[in-house]
Amino acid sequence: MERDVEQLHAALNAVKILRSNVGYVFESVSNGLRADHGEDGKDAKFVTELQVLLTTVNNNLRDVENAVSNLTSPPGAFNLGNTTYLSQETTQERQALYGQLVNSYKWTDKIREYSAVAGHILQTNSISKTYKTFSMTKRRKTQTSIHNVPPDVIENHISAIDRLFTDMTITTSRPFVLNPIIQVSLGRVLKAIIAFKGLMIEWVVIKAHAESNDIWTESRYRVFQKVTENSHAAMCHFYAPTMPELGVRSFMHWLHSYITLFSSPCKKCANHLHSNLPPTWRDLRTLEPYHEECK
Amino acid sequence: MGVTVLQQFPIVEQRTGPSTIELLTKRIVALGATQQGQFLVDCETYSSVPQLGAQKTVHVLHNSEQPATVFSILETGSKTIPLITDGLFDLLMMKMSNFYQSKKQTKVESKGPRFEIGDFSVKLGSVAVSQNFKGILVEVEYRPCIVPAMCWDLIREFLQGFLGSSVSSTPPPYLQNKMQEVYTPNDTIQQYLEHFTVYRKSHFKM
Repeated sequence: MERDVEQLHAALNAVKILRSNVGYVFESVSNGLRADHGEDGKDAKFVTELQVLLTTVNNNLRDVENAVSNLTSPPGAFNLGNTTYLSQETTQERQALYGQLVNSYKWTDKIREYSAVAGHILQTNSISKTYKTFSMTKRRKTQTSIHNVPPDVIENHISAIDRLFTDMTITTSRPFVLNPIIQVSLGRVLKAIIAFKGLMIEWVVIKAHAESNDIWTESRYRVFQKVTENSHAAMCHFYAPTMPELGVRSFMHWLHSYITLFSSPCKKCANHLHSNLPPTWRDLRTLEPYHEECK
Repeated sequence: MGVTVLQQFPIVEQRTGPSTIELLTKRIVALGATQQGQFLVDCETYSSVPQLGAQKTVHVLHNSEQPATVFSILETGSKTIPLITDGLFDLLMMKMSNFYQSKKQTKVESKGPRFEIGDFSVKLGSVAVSQNFKGILVEVEYRPCIVPAMCWDLIREFLQGFLGSSVSSTPPPYLQNKMQEVYTPNDTIQQYLEHFTVYRKSHFKM
């Protein structure tokens, strides 16, 4: 028992160290080149610094894996054991103890249950987020970053989308130098304000034409609030780090299907209204309209 | 400003006006609406004095939804010209009392509770022609949409769900010519004026 706890502490410690070192990596990346890199060969110095940090992270990760493999999972549900007799305690000041005990028992029981489920899911689904290409030639072709794209590439891409639909007009503004915010007017139905980060869609707000272009306030109408929610789901669905153009274009196709937001009935129940809202969901593949409750 | 449809609600014989309003209130509250105060639309009509030549009529309307605005509609016989101004127009009308005189006993108003349910706003108005109760006008506005053609089916479904079979399946005649245009507050006023004119005529028959 004593040994178990010690190992658990060691593992938790290792995780802590890993997290803090990963934090350093991101801090260094976000700071970019600093003054203390000097003038000569500053790029090389920065890369070396990053490499050192990443090596540390790698070592820490190995430590975590070692520590975790030493752990033994608890055999089954915990037993309350002799502590159950606390319920028969007669002294006034100790009577409260039993309630707390039962509560913490419930907690540990829940944690056991959830972690078992989570462990199972993680085992079956790989969580590797990095897209790996193994052949060198292929790697050259794929864009290494979708966050850092030259502005004219984005510009071309947006104007290509603009030409794609006649009833959708796009106006671009660049409050943050590189990253454009576009305002899409979809017929006379709605307008969408979309913020880009490179070629990645970062934020979408749907509003009525009469409302302000502010990206942070949501629409005052229920229906546009719902559509905003759904477009966030679609934004995540169409996110494709390897094919950013395709991702953005599919999202625009999907958004374009809202041209019939008020006029087309739900595909499933054939009604216009459900809880006083028109069909606010569009199927991601077929673009057919559904109510939130019908999809 | 969304698309608004004005609908007359028939009063069955054994019911009075207030009890019909009560019935409709019960229905709309049961659907989940919350009451948001009262509303009032009124209309006063002025006619030109004979010295001005062919008789012209000016209808001056106020809508509590646009409290700082006065809507006036000039009928010359061949044309109707709407004019949308701010509140001072009322005083201007008083100055012109030598040329335009208000007809006696013709002030029409529709007032009652105003409800909101989702993105709809619903107004249950009792129409009175110079204080005499005449009938009930139900106004339903769908606020997010600005083109009648796009949301007529949706509004009709809402109206039928709430008023029953008395709702016709074709849009009101005034809207039929404007289905593809952007809806403006003036269109609401025009609908009110049409209904008010009908109520007034029924007044003269009695």
